[in-house]
Amino acid sequence: MSFDLPVTAAKSGKTDAILDWLQMISGVALIIFVFMHMTLVSSVLINPGIMDAIAHTYEANYMAQVGGPLLFLLFLFHFYLAARKIPFRLEGQKTIWAHAKMLNHRDTWLWIVQAASAMIILIMGSIHMWAVLSDLPITAARSAARMQSGPWVYFYLLLAPLVVLHVVAGLYRIAVKWGVAKDYSREKLNKIAIGLGIAFIVIGLATIVRFMTLAV
Amino acid sequence: MGRQLKFKIFRFNPQNPESVPRMEVFSLDETDSMTLFIALNRIREEQDGSLQFEFCCRAGICGSCAMVINGRPGLACHTKTKDLPDEITLTPLPVFELVGDLSVDTGSWFREMYNKVESWVHTDKVFDPNAIEDPMDNAIAEEIYELDRCVECGSCVAACGTARLRDDFMGATALNRLGRFVIDPRDKRTDEQYFEVIGSDEGIFGCMGLLACEDVCPKNLPLMNQLSYLRRKMGVVALKQIFKK
Repeated sequence: MSFDLPVTAAKSGKTDAILDWLQMISGVALIIFVFMHMTLVSSVLINPGIMDAIAHTYEANYMAQVGGPLLFLLFLFHFYLAARKIPFRLEGQKTIWAHAKMLNHRDTWLWIVQAASAMIILIMGSIHMWAVLSDLPITAARSAARMQSGPWVYFYLLLAPLVVLHVVAGLYRIAVKWGVAKDYSREKLNKIAIGLGIAFIVIGLATIVRFMTLAV
Repeated sequence: MGRQLKFKIFRFNPQNPESVPRMEVFSLDETDSMTLFIALNRIREEQDGSLQFEFCCRAGICGSCAMVINGRPGLACHTKTKDLPDEITLTPLPVFELVGDLSVDTGSWFREMYNKVESWVHTDKVFDPNAIEDPMDNAIAEEIYELDRCVECGSCVAACGTARLRDDFMGATALNRLGRFVIDPRDKRTDEQYFEVIGSDEGIFGCMGLLACEDVCPKNLPLMNQLSYLRRKMGVVALKQIFKK
């Protein structure tokens, strides 16, 4: 708050309130989606047939054909909402970077990780969705073929852990911002978030390894 | 024999056109129970009488000695040197206007904040000086007192990423201050009126939840709980306003 601003009450911000609600709700929806998506795809670890059956069910109900593009819109919408808080000008980026370095505070660094990973996920997530949705039906064999061709394995080795990091940080942030966690349960929440993060990174990496070793 | 402490202190006098912002190094023998209050006074008495910093109560009550101590905003009088490494870097709080060296003008900022959140009990009840004071439920009184413990040192604002990025953000201390009136039964403002003050990105919806305020507050105020409470409360007010139409 600048001390030389004119003495007026802050402008009423019904829009700010609604956008804040939507940012949280779209975030929660995407967190649930990512956890479900990674769990379902990891069914290939048990048997490629199970993954094929799940994917087939989704396509038979048009959830991939319609749900996929809708999810992409939700993904873009969430980016638009959260981007309101991200400094896109170099001046702001320098300020927050210097601030984080000065403070050396876990949750401030975590926010920078969240904001930086968001930029990479925006591009890589879009590529991933385009690659999968333009090559339906989804089968374990097709996914394995993609993973084994060109640089795709490196692409997913970066994307999967980044998404998990972003999503887990987002879950933590929503819980502390909206009071799902209180101050006394913050460290417990932190441990749960780290546990979830490690679990899903392991699941993601194991799935990638399975696709690499699956006979195409 | 105590440690030899090395103090790297920010020096700049904005009143002097020849002054250049710089870091100056001072050495001092550590003594028992030494606080930064003691150390800085010794430096000023023994080494450089022109060093500017602020102190009043030396007991964590007045809030005037907040500065950035090895990167973290905190009260100098509350900080023991034994909890710090041999090298101690002291800089003034960011966000606030620099008076000189480690001294900043938090007073003007807080004065502006009081005006912005209208930091007084709003009531239409006529004050009767002869009447017995209205009793208040003890639990509520304690809840209010818990939030009123703020010493207005400015540490939470200096540690806030949002306040660093946008200078119209009120900061945790202002939101905490308003929150104190929200639970005060004597204040007759409605939730909609509170929303007018903090229900925007300048207020509660600007908070990004980085929680540095909670982690640096020298009085351990429940800022995380308080901010999330206000976010939910103001969020519900906005929804009610939309769906009532």
